[in-house]
Amino acid sequence: MGDSSDEENLGTDWLPYSERDDWADVTPLPQDDGPNPVVSIAYSPKFREVFDYMRAIIAKGEKSQRALDLTTEALNLNPANYTVWQYRRDILRELDADLQDELDYLDEVIRQNAKNYQVWHHRRVIVQMMNCAQWELELTQNALDNDGNAKNYHAWQHRQWAIRTFNLYDDELEFVNRLISEDQRNNSAWNQRFFVLKHLGFTPQVIERELLYTMNHIRVIKNNESAWNYLVGVLRQSPRGQLNSSPEVVQFSEGLYSAGNRSPYLLAFLIDLYQEQALQRREAIDNNQLAQKVYTLCEDMATKHDVIRRKYWSYVAEHLKTQLSKPSSTE
Amino acid sequence: MTDAKEPEPVLLSKHAKNLLRFLHLLPARMSSHDSTRSTIVFFAICGLDVLNSLNLVTPQMREDIINWTYGGLVVPRDDEKPCGGFMGCRAMLPQTEDAHLLECMRQYQWGHLAMTYTSIAVLVTLGDDLSRLDRKSIVDGVAEVQRPDGSFSACVNGSEDDMRFVYCAATICHMLDYWGSVNKETMYQFIMRSLRYDYGFSQELEGEAHGGTTYCALAALELSGQLDRLDATTVERIKRWLVFRQMDGFQGRPNKPVDTCYSFWIGASLRILKGFELTDYAANREYILSTQDKLIGGFAKWPQATPDPFHTYLGLCGLAFTGEPGLSAVMPSLNFSMAAHAHLKQLHEHWRASKGLCHLSIDGSGDATDAATTKKTTSSSPLISAQ
Repeated sequence: MGDSSDEENLGTDWLPYSERDDWADVTPLPQDDGPNPVVSIAYSPKFREVFDYMRAIIAKGEKSQRALDLTTEALNLNPANYTVWQYRRDILRELDADLQDELDYLDEVIRQNAKNYQVWHHRRVIVQMMNCAQWELELTQNALDNDGNAKNYHAWQHRQWAIRTFNLYDDELEFVNRLISEDQRNNSAWNQRFFVLKHLGFTPQVIERELLYTMNHIRVIKNNESAWNYLVGVLRQSPRGQLNSSPEVVQFSEGLYSAGNRSPYLLAFLIDLYQEQALQRREAIDNNQLAQKVYTLCEDMATKHDVIRRKYWSYVAEHLKTQLSKPSSTE
Repeated sequence: MTDAKEPEPVLLSKHAKNLLRFLHLLPARMSSHDSTRSTIVFFAICGLDVLNSLNLVTPQMREDIINWTYGGLVVPRDDEKPCGGFMGCRAMLPQTEDAHLLECMRQYQWGHLAMTYTSIAVLVTLGDDLSRLDRKSIVDGVAEVQRPDGSFSACVNGSEDDMRFVYCAATICHMLDYWGSVNKETMYQFIMRSLRYDYGFSQELEGEAHGGTTYCALAALELSGQLDRLDATTVERIKRWLVFRQMDGFQGRPNKPVDTCYSFWIGASLRILKGFELTDYAANREYILSTQDKLIGGFAKWPQATPDPFHTYLGLCGLAFTGEPGLSAVMPSLNFSMAAHAHLKQLHEHWRASKGLCHLSIDGSGDATDAATTKKTTSSSPLISAQ
């Protein structure tokens, strides 16, 4: 990272470009920051010199091995410089370089800068140039397995892109299963599960299996928003797309409630379930009863189980009242 | 002595001094921010504005900031690809008289949507009249980086494309009151394709729903006049996802820790959907203040973490939404003050009343009578020369 430039500068083995024979033909080009610059960075001497030479090389349009090495050094000092990354790609194309080496280089750079947009973008372009995503699942798996990084947005995004572009869906569910079993609250993994199954198709059998899978996880950790959101998402994939599409899920959720569970996510689900029915079966005799359940649950949420959202739950109850008082339903 | 029950104060003047410092010299450890210097100006200037402290920026400093910002403007020639916009840094501007070298360097000078957005926002906040901008050239640059799927890259070469740049594209076109050949329909399609099963928006397509990208999506819909295309049920479900992000402060995704910046991203999203009043203001405020650095000012993402301009600015905006005394109102979708937005609307009226786009792209001198009515305009200032 650029943050390390101070300490690097203390290193003794670094020879300034101005003292290197093989760079004697290059005149460094300082940055033109205007007469009265603002937000000036107190660049280290090394940073300044590397970028002075970088500008000189770009202005010359030199695309050579030494230019490539210079970009390595510049990007080590500032991996967020998207123009230098682009110049590096232009060099690689010009030299017809071995891109496998570039992937190896990137393995290390990504390991050190796993949350930097430019490095992942570079990786994507190189993989596109090679038209080969052989190493992408392993790369992203390593990034996600790295302690505390199982939700790294960049890694997931890259992984999805590789899977989508190169049709690598085959073993993904297995990977997702492992991550969810390691941490049931890993929302990224649940999202990836949805992504894979959406591709494979939410057939009635898949929906049934997924609902079962999710209910089994909720049984273990009831207060887990990720699993509840996924459950609702899958129910919406059913032909009717409604929360009461699966009698098993209705029974399951009402059973949890009867057994005394008061997880806000369970209660929110029941509120949505009853609300949806109340609005759809407005002529039914139990309509008022359904609405009443919603009001009671909202009241309990606001006063006991989800107090931080008390204004929201009052709003939900009011919203339903308003909708039910409208003369006719166009739902 | 403060009563234990009394809420902790927001250290307004310390925050102002903290932000002011970043406008001057930054330490070497911030070298990795070299390519995004204009975003630091944005956080500092817009933060000072929200703090009602722009008076701390001296007239000379103000001129310097405006001139430095315009110095990053890329204006392509007719025979060059449409890469108009701001660079946000000077790494690709060499100090040389050599015409050949300067010419070669142009191939690597492109506007960047995030830098263009923040640069224009800074100019508007400082009361500049944008008369030195060729609006068409910039919006041509925006249209050039739109992808067939409706998404946007940051620049013509070497950038990823995702919801962040959809947002930046929308802010730029909205601020310049001109959409040119930007395709709002495909933009809308891309945004809606990124709405997830839990009703947050992802960075792109089927990624995980995220607070920052949900903000980008909703703000882009509002700024492009397409928010009312969301049906009532969808709006309620998005509100649910957003409201559920509150723990005390706000988190960016389910089961992630809270972070000061989401008081803005989620708060602004809810403001756009007119649901912010459904949140718990006191808990939100208390969390943001737990990340306040009492010694040097500024807010951090977490308590005891190091403050930075990004979290400082977004923390202030988050507090402004709850009506914190001493802070100016913030316009959610553009992410700067309502006062700056009022100035922008005056510019729009002026542009619409005058001869329109051609007038501005050829003659940037502005209209003297109108300039007089526009707050703190710089259009008539002879001090400013092109760099």
